[in-house]
Amino acid sequence: MASVKDLRERIASLKNTQQITKAMKQVAAAKIRRAETARTQARPYADALGEMLRDLVLAAGSVDHPFMKPGRSGAPPGAILMAADKGLAGAFNSNVVRAGEIYRGEHPEAVFYTVGIKARNAVRRMGRPDHATWPLGARAKLDTARDVAERVAGDFASGRICEIVLISPKIVTRISQRPELRRLVPIVATEVAGENAPGGHRGAVEFSPSPEFVLSHLLPKYLEFTIFSAMLETDAAFFAAQLLAMSNATDNAGKLIDELTIAMNNARQAAITKELLEIVGGAEALSG
Amino acid sequence: MATTIPFTLITPTKVIFEGNAELVIAVTTEGEEGILPKHAPFLSALRPGVLRANIVEAGASQRLELATGEGFMQALPERVTVLVDRAVGFEEVDISQARQEQSEASARQKAAGTDGAAFAREQAAIDFAVAKLRLTGHQ
Repeated sequence: MASVKDLRERIASLKNTQQITKAMKQVAAAKIRRAETARTQARPYADALGEMLRDLVLAAGSVDHPFMKPGRSGAPPGAILMAADKGLAGAFNSNVVRAGEIYRGEHPEAVFYTVGIKARNAVRRMGRPDHATWPLGARAKLDTARDVAERVAGDFASGRICEIVLISPKIVTRISQRPELRRLVPIVATEVAGENAPGGHRGAVEFSPSPEFVLSHLLPKYLEFTIFSAMLETDAAFFAAQLLAMSNATDNAGKLIDELTIAMNNARQAAITKELLEIVGGAEALSG
Repeated sequence: MATTIPFTLITPTKVIFEGNAELVIAVTTEGEEGILPKHAPFLSALRPGVLRANIVEAGASQRLELATGEGFMQALPERVTVLVDRAVGFEEVDISQARQEQSEASARQKAAGTDGAAFAREQAAIDFAVAKLRLTGHQ
């Protein structure tokens, strides 16, 4: 049985750990709010952009834009893998990485692009040390999203990759996330327009100078914004996962502290009893 | 009071303005375009430039002027929506910084040569810097 001193030391160490996890939990809770606000504020832009895209696609019909045509046949697909910069969030990052590995299993020749340090490390471990990568945080997400979009769009246009998919965490409920795979490019007109989309096309619309021209501006912006909003979602999902992980860690540390405290009390009591018995035994021996 | 139309100005991070406007003027790829209420349905891409609008707030007509990045403007019978990458007001412009951005972007553009994407990106950066200077009356 461990000595009282050992147990006391372990309890002290656990209490320190618990304080750290508790602090991280509170930080995550504060950051989750900020990340959620950012997502809410991005929504009006998303709605308006989606609506404009729908109107344009309906007006222009089939459009001669590289994004709306299948990529060069024979080229490998391109995948953007998005995870967080940091860990300590349960299985959050490894779930995304696993989805990336499954994708690589299906498309061994796939070209990977990564956003987030954890995603970068995972793809490096897959044996692709020199793929294009960006951090999730670091600087303005909009600028990062623009860089990512430019890079993948460039590779798509030059025929290096034949399609662009995005693997990123999706928020299912406030406390649960799962990785989701979406194809970003080529954009399928019928998917964008939707079947009998509500609101539909508003009759004669004047496009300046032409629907094709406006669409050629809007499609790259759409790609950029989709990546941006996925980054916001990854951020929010990460803090939600971290909040849960840290909350569990705090609870577990608490349980362990309780168990060890009981063990320590028992050990202390046993030691006291033993001493008493020795004293009594000694006294009796003397008086006897 | 003049007739008005609901007008929304949105960036990816914020709704900059939501209210009623008598007139919205933005710089499209084809030049400046003014939208009055009852304009025919219209959709166009915007270049970085100075967006101007006569807005009505608390019954009084006011002038809204912002330097805006690339984006889109959609006019519908019932509303006008402007989407831009970014929008800054008069008091947010740092003039020396804008000048520096302009010269740096020009230099990068020269270095990029005629490579389509890079050239266009730097042109947008130059246009936005110039728009900020115009907004503050420095160009």
